[in-house]
Amino acid sequence: MYSIAIDVGGTFTDCLVLDAKGQLGQFKAPTTPDDPSKGLLDSLEKAARSAAKDTREFIGEVDFIIHGTTLATNALLTERGAKVGMLTTEGFRDELEIRRGFKNIRTSMYNLAVPPYKPLVRRYLRLAVHERTLYSGEIETPVQISSVAAALDKFEAEGVQAIAICFLHSYANPENERKAAQMCRERFGDRIYVTTSHEILPVSGEYERFSTTVVSAYIGPIVSDYLQALEARLSEMGFKGSLMMVRSDALVQSVAHSRRQAVTMINSGPAAAPTAAHFFGRLLGHENLISIDMGGTSLDASLIRNGEIPTTTESWVGDERVAIKIIETHSIGAGGGSLAWIDSLGLLRVGPQSAGSYPGPSCYGRGGDRPTVTDADVLLGYVPADYFLGGEIELDAERSRQAILKVAEPLQMTESQAAQAIFRVVNSLMADQVIEMSTKRGYDIRDFALIVGGGAGAVHGAHIAELLGIPSVIIPKYAALYSAFGMFAMDMGREYSRSCMVRADKLDPGRLEDLYRELAEKAAADLGESHVEASELVSTRTAQVRYVGQFHDIEVSLPEELKSPEDIQAVIKTFHARHKELYKFDLPERGIEFRTCSLRATLARKLDLKVVPLARGGAGAAVKRTRRCLFGEDWIDTPCYDGRRLLAGNRIPGPAIIEEQATTVVVPERFTCTVDASGSYLLQRS
Amino acid sequence: MGEDSRRAAAAARGPGKPVAADVDPLTLSTVWHSLQRICREMRRVIERTAQSYLISQLKDISVGIWDGEGNTVAIPVGLPIQFVGAKYSVRYIMNEYGEDIYPGDVFLANDPYHGYSCHPPDWGYFRPIFHADRLVFWTLARAHVEDTGAAFPGAYFSDPYDIHSEGLLIPGVKVIERGREQRDIMRLIFNNVRLAEGVRNDSYAMIAATQLAENRLLDLIGKYGVETVHRCVGVMQTRTEQAVRACIEAMPDGTYCGESSTDDDGVELDVPVTVRCDVTVEGEQLTIDFSRSDKQRKGFVNCSYPSTYSCSVASAILFLDPALAEYHNEGTMRPIEVIAPEGLVVNANYPAPMGGAPVSMGGNIQEAVMMAMSEALPTRAAAGWGRRYGQYIYGIDPRTGGLYVFPGYHAEGGSGAVYGFDGYQGSASLGTLGEIARPNTEDYEIRYPWKVISREFRKDSSGAGRWRGGPGFHWEVVNLGGDAGMHTGAGQGETTYAHGCLGGRPTLPNICHIVRSDGEKMRAKVHRLHKVFLGDHIVKDTSGGGGVGRPEDRDPQAVWEDVYINELVTLETAREVYRVVIDPATRQIDWDRTKTLRAAAGGA
Repeated sequence: MYSIAIDVGGTFTDCLVLDAKGQLGQFKAPTTPDDPSKGLLDSLEKAARSAAKDTREFIGEVDFIIHGTTLATNALLTERGAKVGMLTTEGFRDELEIRRGFKNIRTSMYNLAVPPYKPLVRRYLRLAVHERTLYSGEIETPVQISSVAAALDKFEAEGVQAIAICFLHSYANPENERKAAQMCRERFGDRIYVTTSHEILPVSGEYERFSTTVVSAYIGPIVSDYLQALEARLSEMGFKGSLMMVRSDALVQSVAHSRRQAVTMINSGPAAAPTAAHFFGRLLGHENLISIDMGGTSLDASLIRNGEIPTTTESWVGDERVAIKIIETHSIGAGGGSLAWIDSLGLLRVGPQSAGSYPGPSCYGRGGDRPTVTDADVLLGYVPADYFLGGEIELDAERSRQAILKVAEPLQMTESQAAQAIFRVVNSLMADQVIEMSTKRGYDIRDFALIVGGGAGAVHGAHIAELLGIPSVIIPKYAALYSAFGMFAMDMGREYSRSCMVRADKLDPGRLEDLYRELAEKAAADLGESHVEASELVSTRTAQVRYVGQFHDIEVSLPEELKSPEDIQAVIKTFHARHKELYKFDLPERGIEFRTCSLRATLARKLDLKVVPLARGGAGAAVKRTRRCLFGEDWIDTPCYDGRRLLAGNRIPGPAIIEEQATTVVVPERFTCTVDASGSYLLQRS
Repeated sequence: MGEDSRRAAAAARGPGKPVAADVDPLTLSTVWHSLQRICREMRRVIERTAQSYLISQLKDISVGIWDGEGNTVAIPVGLPIQFVGAKYSVRYIMNEYGEDIYPGDVFLANDPYHGYSCHPPDWGYFRPIFHADRLVFWTLARAHVEDTGAAFPGAYFSDPYDIHSEGLLIPGVKVIERGREQRDIMRLIFNNVRLAEGVRNDSYAMIAATQLAENRLLDLIGKYGVETVHRCVGVMQTRTEQAVRACIEAMPDGTYCGESSTDDDGVELDVPVTVRCDVTVEGEQLTIDFSRSDKQRKGFVNCSYPSTYSCSVASAILFLDPALAEYHNEGTMRPIEVIAPEGLVVNANYPAPMGGAPVSMGGNIQEAVMMAMSEALPTRAAAGWGRRYGQYIYGIDPRTGGLYVFPGYHAEGGSGAVYGFDGYQGSASLGTLGEIARPNTEDYEIRYPWKVISREFRKDSSGAGRWRGGPGFHWEVVNLGGDAGMHTGAGQGETTYAHGCLGGRPTLPNICHIVRSDGEKMRAKVHRLHKVFLGDHIVKDTSGGGGVGRPEDRDPQAVWEDVYINELVTLETAREVYRVVIDPATRQIDWDRTKTLRAAAGGA
């Protein structure tokens, strides 16, 4: 049987296959943006071929696919989501656009030259329903059927593709939202995607809830249609296992759930990279890591400090507020496919425009004729023309040269000088991004190790580290399929929450126990959908607690069972201490309030990597050839090592090239590379 | 590179032409950004831990860092009047206490005349930060507390006898000495404010923020050494100064005028009060002179010099290179001089009350400077924002039996237009430059015995223009509590307005009514005290921001969108103001009639 992780990125679809013996196989296929499931199946076909099996036979033996995709994020950022109609409480149809007055989201308060916000649902499609629930949960006014019906008429006439139902205080009582949703579903069936705010984010604060819900509706049809089609195609191909999706918070969940809560697909894919970084960091003893994942179109960076993968509920994705828990990553448009161009001041620039997977860089010979970063990498000798993706795509260095000439001539440079300039510009661009991410938080990047993934990451990693003054670079064995690898390292499961507003001095441990038991039952039932035994689940309990009157909670861990008032006292003590730790003060005299109880039910998935045998001799045996590469001013005959033949403990002094099946590691002069037991490369500046 | 990433890259590098620095660029960048980030982290601590609605949810908070001599180092987040000129507070305390300042001390100031605060509810906690016995930094956390022991609960009541009616006046006193709380002083203070437990919580939140700043700054010094950190600060200030001087140099020399009025001073009713400024650009120097402003008033609309300074500087820097926006510090302020003679509303003498200062005249000072600067730099013109129209309602919440104070940033319209863009919609009040968050209706209803009936954009409420202002609001609430008082001092703009630019229209009148439970409807004017009873509705209709450029020069397609997509402009206004004729039957622009109308108006 096989387990598979598939990451559909902007340029490539990465497929990592784990067989019963613990062997990992890596496969890449071009992403097919019009129908991403095609690229996904292409990658499976390659995997099947490598296992010398017919595709159907192979897929029939897969019991588990974990899948991450940038589909949702891209749809949101490129404004390609659905036409959404919003049903909302009469008198409040502008909450979404007022957005609590937030103006200075990515800009300083001293900057007025900011274009006005353009909401995902324009005002003419935000329609009022006569209904009202009070903060207590009491329904003051039931849904007026006629006002919903009139709104649905308009939605139909306008050709709306998704409806977001956003009523005040629906977290306290969802009845009115349910009623309206039922009317929508009765009328439109599956024709229109319907979502409600109490399902997406059942907490108070209408702006954050409504905005998150509208985002979910906006990307809902695309995500839902894609997943439905994918499931159908996989099942046609004989797939009988479970297909699971990577969530924004780096947990893994069922397809049915992802279709209903499309917003949890935001950042799916990139969310997995920090988990990979964390995995290798732990393996190699690094707690502070900067993870960069450089693919074809973009670079995703994240920062792990003290071994913690940062999450936030305060995200803005593009111009939208998304209040679910998301792994923090920072993205810029710089990757292997990024185009080099000359701006109006005569300066060489790289990106954010990308050649994508079609036509791709010029050297692919698919009709692209503009210079890209990959073309520069080829010209510099770093990337082997005959062994790109293990020889699968033959690169045409002559086409690269022709393309690069287009920027070399106006710059009055030779083509190798121009290639080097492109290489340097893109490296600084990425280094700047990393500096911004870390120094904006006041961290000194020199205290971090750089961990690099993505197809182009290993080519550029050491040079970026040099610009950053970082001495250590980690290139994981599966660097080229970095996020896909992270998916294997992820826990499966979900967090379940329920509001339980009660003052600590009135808290009955028995009642709390009942509540957690209910959550545990729900978790067991949901994971049952994915064929997981309840006994395999690991549950951790937390509660959101605050001082009476405060507006924000602190998450405190709870013991496995609360038996007595003393147990509650212990939790309270933890809360005071945590408040003091986080905020430098506590208020021992002040009352404490429990707000929300949460249960995180996960299935820890073991991942044992096959250990690379220890080297007895030097790395010399792995040299497969030499190639002329440009390092600094000089063309150097550089040894190229075959990654498959390198063994643990091998040391390779720079300059050197290591040719892996799906990527190329560039070891510059000032670095020494060591192979570790997992087959990863550690580059250390001397 | 896209606009955003270009901006981001510029931000990462920092502004200005490089000054020869003997610190490496990466250290400089790290230190520079660390200082900004520390401020954001300070604000976050306060937001996360405060219990006042206004502080935690609406973020009526300012934080910053000054150097050991009281020069500005970092002021990235806050409300301009609360902190841009807080160096005057730092210098006051240093002057007052001299050698008697120690590590672990914390000072509290809210007295507009001694230690400075724009008005008494804004309590500022100041902490000196020492390294090896040397005073190296000051930090401030200031927020608008729930109560300050004034004649009435809340803030912004309009007819105080003098400054003493406006609350307990704390003149920059030491409340913590060498890490030990001065119990006597704190007891005295909290015995004199309402909702004392809550104010104590929020005071600790602010003190904790200053503690956090100290820890972070000492970490920074520990890592790079005090000399390097100082050098970084010096380089930052010099580079910023050079960049700001270059911006001013690029402005055409001359004197430009601006003025702005508030409806009245709360005592002498319905008589407007006016600030006037003359902005002179001369080479690299900018002088903002308020000498022609009205005399100080008996009512609550007076400002202290530091308030006037804060508002003026904050408004002037809106017209500098936006790439500098994230980095302003003392270097920004060196080429800018603010003149405000004593005895005027812009620099009132004791004991003139100042409770309204953040709105009147603070907001007016900002508007006047923006108006003058827009004249100096027409391609950066910025119209006035929808005028602040807040209120404070206080009473007993029948659900708890306790006093509540219901502040508001719910109804004032959005930003004014700027040259090139319509005004930002939704943002609340020029006085905050968009840093204040508006309340969620749900949170309001959980917190206060009021139900919100409606909060929506109001049609035809924007100042018209080639670029129009962000829209105003219609806002209605009903009293479910019981007898309550309402101050309308935190508002203006019923009989006065904020400017439009280059032929753009100014803001429209704000208006507020109380509708009694028996249906009687009465005006509730600004700068008054009103009584409200169980079942009363309060209804506000507010103006949006002002416009830039003549309305008849607005792209007809944009007008069409405002009619049918944004639903913010009526067909009548499209025709009468924007001179765009749309046929309601076909929903098409009638281009011929539009051209004729526009030609008659002398438009393009």
